[in-house]
Amino acid sequence: MTIADLASVPFERAGDLASLCARVGELADSEQPFVLLAGGTDWMVEQELRKPFAAGAEPRVIDVSRLDKLREIRLEGNVLSIGAGVTYWEMRNSPEVRAHAPLLERMARDVGAIQIQARGTLGGNLATGSPAADGVAAVAAYDAILVVQSRRGVRRIPMSELQTGYKASTREGDEIFVAVEILLPGPDARWYWRKVGTRRAQAISKVALGGVARVEAGQVVRCGLGMASVAPVTALLPRTRELFLSTKLEKIGPVQLDKAVDSDISPIDDVRSTGEYRLHVAKSVVRDFARALGARV
Amino acid sequence: MQADKPDSHVVGTSVGRSDGVAKVVGTARYVDDLPKRPGELHGVTVRAPVARGTLRAVKFDPSFDWSDITVVQAADVPTNVVAVIAYDQPVLASTAINHAYEPIVLLACADRAKLARAKLAVHLDIDPLEPVLDIQTSLSDQNVVWSAPDGFGDKGTNVMKRYLITKGEADVDAEHARCARVVSGTYSTHQQEQLYIEPQGVVAWWDDDGAHVIGSIQCPYYVHKAFLKTFGLDAERIDISQAVTGGGFGGKEEYPSIIALHAALLAKKSGRPVRMIYDRAEDIEATTKRHPCECEVTTGCDADGTLRVLKMRVLMDAGAYVTLTPVVLSRGVLHAAGTYRWPTVQIEAIAVATNTPPNGAFRGFGAPQTIWAIERHMDAVAAYLGVDPMDLKRQNLLVEGDTTATGQVLRMSVSSTACLEGGLSAARYAERKRELDLENQARAQRGERKRLGIGASIFMHGAGFTGSGERMLKGKAALDLLPGGGLRIRTASTDIGQGTETVFRQIASDASGVPMEHIDFAVPSTKVCPDSGPTVASRTVMVVGSIVERCAREIGDAVKAEQARGGGSFAQAGDRLLTKGPVTVLRQYEPPDFVKWDDTTYKGDAYPCFAWMCDVAELEVDLDTFEVEVKRFHIAGDVGKAINPKMCLGQLEGGTLQAIGWALSEELVWRDGLIKNPRITNYIVPTALDAPPFETALVEAPFEFGPGGGAKGIGELPMDGGRRRSPPPSSTPPGSPCTTCRSPPSAFTPRAWAGRSANDNLPEGSQPRVDSTQAQRSAA
Ligand SMILES: Cc1cc2nc3c(=O)[nH]c(=O)nc-3n(C[C@H](O)[C@H](O)[C@H](O)COP(=O)(O)OP(=O)(O)OC[C@H]3O[C@@H](n4cnc5c(N)ncnc54)[C@H](O)[C@@H]3O)c2cc1C
Repeated sequence: MTIADLASVPFERAGDLASLCARVGELADSEQPFVLLAGGTDWMVEQELRKPFAAGAEPRVIDVSRLDKLREIRLEGNVLSIGAGVTYWEMRNSPEVRAHAPLLERMARDVGAIQIQARGTLGGNLATGSPAADGVAAVAAYDAILVVQSRRGVRRIPMSELQTGYKASTREGDEIFVAVEILLPGPDARWYWRKVGTRRAQAISKVALGGVARVEAGQVVRCGLGMASVAPVTALLPRTRELFLSTKLEKIGPVQLDKAVDSDISPIDDVRSTGEYRLHVAKSVVRDFARALGARV
Repeated sequence: MQADKPDSHVVGTSVGRSDGVAKVVGTARYVDDLPKRPGELHGVTVRAPVARGTLRAVKFDPSFDWSDITVVQAADVPTNVVAVIAYDQPVLASTAINHAYEPIVLLACADRAKLARAKLAVHLDIDPLEPVLDIQTSLSDQNVVWSAPDGFGDKGTNVMKRYLITKGEADVDAEHARCARVVSGTYSTHQQEQLYIEPQGVVAWWDDDGAHVIGSIQCPYYVHKAFLKTFGLDAERIDISQAVTGGGFGGKEEYPSIIALHAALLAKKSGRPVRMIYDRAEDIEATTKRHPCECEVTTGCDADGTLRVLKMRVLMDAGAYVTLTPVVLSRGVLHAAGTYRWPTVQIEAIAVATNTPPNGAFRGFGAPQTIWAIERHMDAVAAYLGVDPMDLKRQNLLVEGDTTATGQVLRMSVSSTACLEGGLSAARYAERKRELDLENQARAQRGERKRLGIGASIFMHGAGFTGSGERMLKGKAALDLLPGGGLRIRTASTDIGQGTETVFRQIASDASGVPMEHIDFAVPSTKVCPDSGPTVASRTVMVVGSIVERCAREIGDAVKAEQARGGGSFAQAGDRLLTKGPVTVLRQYEPPDFVKWDDTTYKGDAYPCFAWMCDVAELEVDLDTFEVEVKRFHIAGDVGKAINPKMCLGQLEGGTLQAIGWALSEELVWRDGLIKNPRITNYIVPTALDAPPFETALVEAPFEFGPGGGAKGIGELPMDGGRRRSPPPSSTPPGSPCTTCRSPPSAFTPRAWAGRSANDNLPEGSQPRVDSTQAQRSAA
């Protein structure tokens, strides 16, 4: 589907967040199909892949890309809030993101290429919920809270409670992603980003790892991990994280670390890669992260 | 007075592209940009969902409203055959389904959304049959899936075509026994998709003058030939024109005949113009690709590395129909011996049928497959002898006066040494090898996880049609004098992005004395342009360009003679000539006399000349992820004479990047004969960011029969190289299975890695056979 083809579907533009919530609620009540359009970089691709709609069954498209509320980046105390409608390009260029959540800036550079970065949003990445989503992996590393809103009001979902299965989540059908909130880990926190994807632009991750950690006296005291493309959901690697939090870095050995990764994920073969390769790379990048923190693995 | 442009030459200068501005500002009209014709319909194709089967029935959902839908099936096709070389491929399948995506039903409708639904309302009732999907199964002939049309292949088998090249001693095995060192290996290359940016597309319509097609096509006369056969029309009732074309690489050589026939069938039945444009997935699934190939190589040499004997078996997977396979296989065998002196040669080549979509033309046309094999094999021989591969290659390099595998004596324009030495010295190959070894040792000590490597290759590519091809083809070109002293070039050679239009205007300008801006390039069309032969085989500049040059010189001379007689400017003299009637020169290609070729024995001058090239690549391999980054790339490429140096660089570097993509990331994923990754997101071609910094030197060894002072064909040449060469063991980054060209990172696993290091320890003994297939087996 091209931008020009948008003319062939029923299209409307949201005025403000409250009226959007009302409109979405109304459509949900009447069981009318609808879609929120932010950058369109996921949805328009999906239109190519799906079966043709039955005559008259096209969904209503509601453009949310101009909602100011979704485009804010705010720092309040030690919480950074990034609107769901913020694009990767904006993240790359935001002084707040660069200063306080540099992992997001780094991740944003690896998304698609500039054309995609200029349109694709964090909200779209979260809503599509692909296990390959780079943005979700990076947000997970910060243990982010997702702010959603509907007619019924605002709700905060911790990242660890969002995804329930392949492209399935605890977000209700009428809830809109408003923002991603990050409790900042502090200026001396370590962060790590590595995307492995065959080519250097326009690549879907075969494996990507985002990691954030605070280390005090050789001990990891805060740790968040998000790994793309190794499970039906963004993998949070709970056992690996537990190992980091429970063991002094100098005591962490390569075998132990590999075992933790083994127990966290069992990646599969698909057109993009093999399970064997993914597991090997997953272990390698986790070791790389551990080395960056000071472990000898 | 002389012509308006007395001394200034444009040949040899990098003038801007004639088509550049329109493409950059977006005014160039590709086929899908052409204005809608009145009453126009869209056309789509219903294709086979299985690799092989028998079509029992086609059912049209009775609950669907078919009233405004045009339907075409096999029974509607006047002569149901696509005319290429053999007549084995139907325009639409009727009973036998021989490959997935084979076209069965065509539909047209004004409403695209309805058309998409109509496609789902067609049900194919198919009894599936066991398909043959790879070369070895096909070769076993246990399941014969192809029936040979008269004059083709071996009856009752899957073999479509065979060639045999022999030279020197008759008993090659006895020769091997006499050699101090014998090395064997099997080298396989995988398919590659052309992935031109603009998918295939045409618009077709009929009127009182006959059939009309405009589309994204490389060879208008191929489509013309297909229409002659299928519709049985008179030649002048077929009008095939090229629209601005967004790349071809061979993919728009033979395939456009099919989409054009389909659109014309729908147009004929509906009585309306029909536009058919493939989307990316359909284009990747249904159209041609590079032939997969397996080469079994055994060579013998003296203890000092002097090559004695080459024995080779080249196997190619043709897919379900013949299309251009005999020609691809031919070019493959003719390049299989590489750039080396072999006193004794035996090369056997076989193409077999499988139940995959037909493989076809792709830049390099079979040569990249066999050259990869021989270059990789030379690296293995060098590793075994314990010498640097480039020293071994230099020692055995073909030079002027030497004889190729077909017995051709290399008489002129032989720049093998200049390219080899130029490439190696520009890249500081020997020093860099040592430096990288040291750097790798240091990295290992520091515990770093990346290693560097360097590798090089030398290769040549024959320009123009093989052997007697150009003599039989009789390519033509014409030039017209226009009022005001201008010229118009009329050829069937298409500009598909490679710059034909610009280069032809440069050649014609220098030959006639008419400034470039007064020279038009007629849109290639069978109504307007003579048949110059197809836009293939690195022949456009060297062959058709030389006809253009001759025509331009003749017209220029005629006008200048008139100027000398009657005075005035070039333009005035030209206009005087035009008062007596049109001034046109039409000429036919005359191949150099010395070219002697015997098609029955496959001996003689395979090509009038060769273009040569040396590649040197530096790579970095990540030992954790097996990602490979090409850090630097040096090219020394012989173009004969650079008519437009910048565009020569574009060809050499662009073609090399295409070869790098083939080696490092491009791979079609097949399951049961169906393609699982028919999209740009997962068929991974390199992006601009993946391109290494190129340092390219143009070598000029003029070919005296080439235009502009000796230009040779270079379109395919770079595709023969570019692929990663695993360097010798000392600086080899581990993890590279050395016998398959394919190496996307996920092809590597810890097991493949182990296989590679095992292969580095070559067996000892007086007559060892180095089995290079080891790594491949352990990778599998
Ligand atoms: C060429 C290309 C390359 C790409 N490369 C990458 C890559 O490297 N890494 C990566 O992770 N992704 C990549 N993507 C995927 C895509 O760009 C991202 O997932 C992007 O973040 C999607 O955001 P969007 O705003 O474009 O979403 P849209 O397509 O506008 O929307 C996607 C879905 O999200 C829903 N949605 C949007 N906003 C909201 C909201 N506020 N609340 C609730 N639902 C909402 C929509 O209804 C829709 O279902 C690529 C895509 C393309 C086409």
